[in-house]
Amino acid sequence: MATDQHSVELVDDDVVKPFARAAVLAALMAATVFVGSIPIPFSPISISLGVIVVYLAGLYLGPYWGAFSLLLYLTAGAVGLPVFAERAAGLGVLVGDSAGYLWSYPIAALLIGAVVHWRSETGDPADLSRPALVVTLLTALTVIYLLGAAWLGYVLELSTVKALELGVVPFIPGDLIKIAAVVAIVEAGRITT
Amino acid sequence: MLTYEPDESLAHRLDPRAKLAVQIGFAATALAHTTPRALIAFSVLTAVAMATARLSLRRTLVSYRLALVVLALAPLLAGVTVGPPWFDRLAAVASGLASYRVLLILLVSAAYVRSTPVRHSRAAIQRTIPGKPGQLLGVGVALVFRFLPVLRGDLRTIREAMAARLGTERSVVDRASTVGMLGVTRAFDRADRLSLALRARCFAWNPTLPALAFSRVDYPVLGLAVVLAVSAFY
Repeated sequence: MATDQHSVELVDDDVVKPFARAAVLAALMAATVFVGSIPIPFSPISISLGVIVVYLAGLYLGPYWGAFSLLLYLTAGAVGLPVFAERAAGLGVLVGDSAGYLWSYPIAALLIGAVVHWRSETGDPADLSRPALVVTLLTALTVIYLLGAAWLGYVLELSTVKALELGVVPFIPGDLIKIAAVVAIVEAGRITT
Repeated sequence: MLTYEPDESLAHRLDPRAKLAVQIGFAATALAHTTPRALIAFSVLTAVAMATARLSLRRTLVSYRLALVVLALAPLLAGVTVGPPWFDRLAAVASGLASYRVLLILLVSAAYVRSTPVRHSRAAIQRTIPGKPGQLLGVGVALVFRFLPVLRGDLRTIREAMAARLGTERSVVDRASTVGMLGVTRAFDRADRLSLALRARCFAWNPTLPALAFSRVDYPVLGLAVVLAVSAFY
């Protein structure tokens, strides 16, 4: 058994706070699969809250801790916490059909966090104008769709058009609603960074 | 639901690092090959992995039901063509074989999930990934496991409170933003209390981990992982 013989090296205070927030937000992301989704009127698809947490992680935790939070979510799922869609778990999901979407989450959070840090001195997403916020979120959604559909097409040997039909088109209405919800959350300004 | 279950199977006695290595090797080679002959070999390996973890095929398939729907739809969609001959059998078969290997990858990883408790996975992460990133990832995963039930309860409370106040009659955007905002606010409150508690308890970069050691049965498993990973290139 390997035991660490060095003296205790405390974690700095400015790491503990964002780390705790990243870990708890990863747990929130995980919890969204257990708590039913919201049905959309006149549509067979209902919206899960998962991707909303991806956007919020980027907006309120910044590029590094936001991406770290989603990596924690992916790692917890890979080692057996049933947190992927429909309570699936396992390393296989991270190379399976939906792997492109899952791996795009930390990238999307990194992208959103980078824009917030670039446009705001204090790192507060409420400083962003509404058009800037909407464009940022739509760009992140595009990254999620592109990586998701590209991997879906590769791993299931589908053509580009068919991968888009199966993996993007059905989700567009729900994802636009989620972006509207995130804009409303940021503009309400009740979450402190 | 697919999750860890205490048992005395061979897979339960293996070192988590050896099991992780086998999954990575298997995924690498399965992603590289889709010939029927390779798929038969992979099926046999999957059956062995499932047997060593005493995994029930039916229950595992139920827990991967969403993936199964996509995996079943993909070959049908791949075969459909606009115009004669209306259905392209070759494209459908190619996609079907590709879908099947994804199912095998999922089943092999399910064997790990059933046979490995989270404290073993955490120790494997912290011993394999060097330095501070490994420490943060290991502690973080343990915290996600610990906080999942708490935040699940929070979200449920929020939804019930909204329903009690006729929140279900409001627009979808309104409902989604309320749940999202309250969920994150509560999560951050919990996180700030957690960070205070961590500091009070001397949260350190070098805590003592549970013991992990390779035993004799782990070496052949690790060898298998290497063979599988190398076979991805042939």
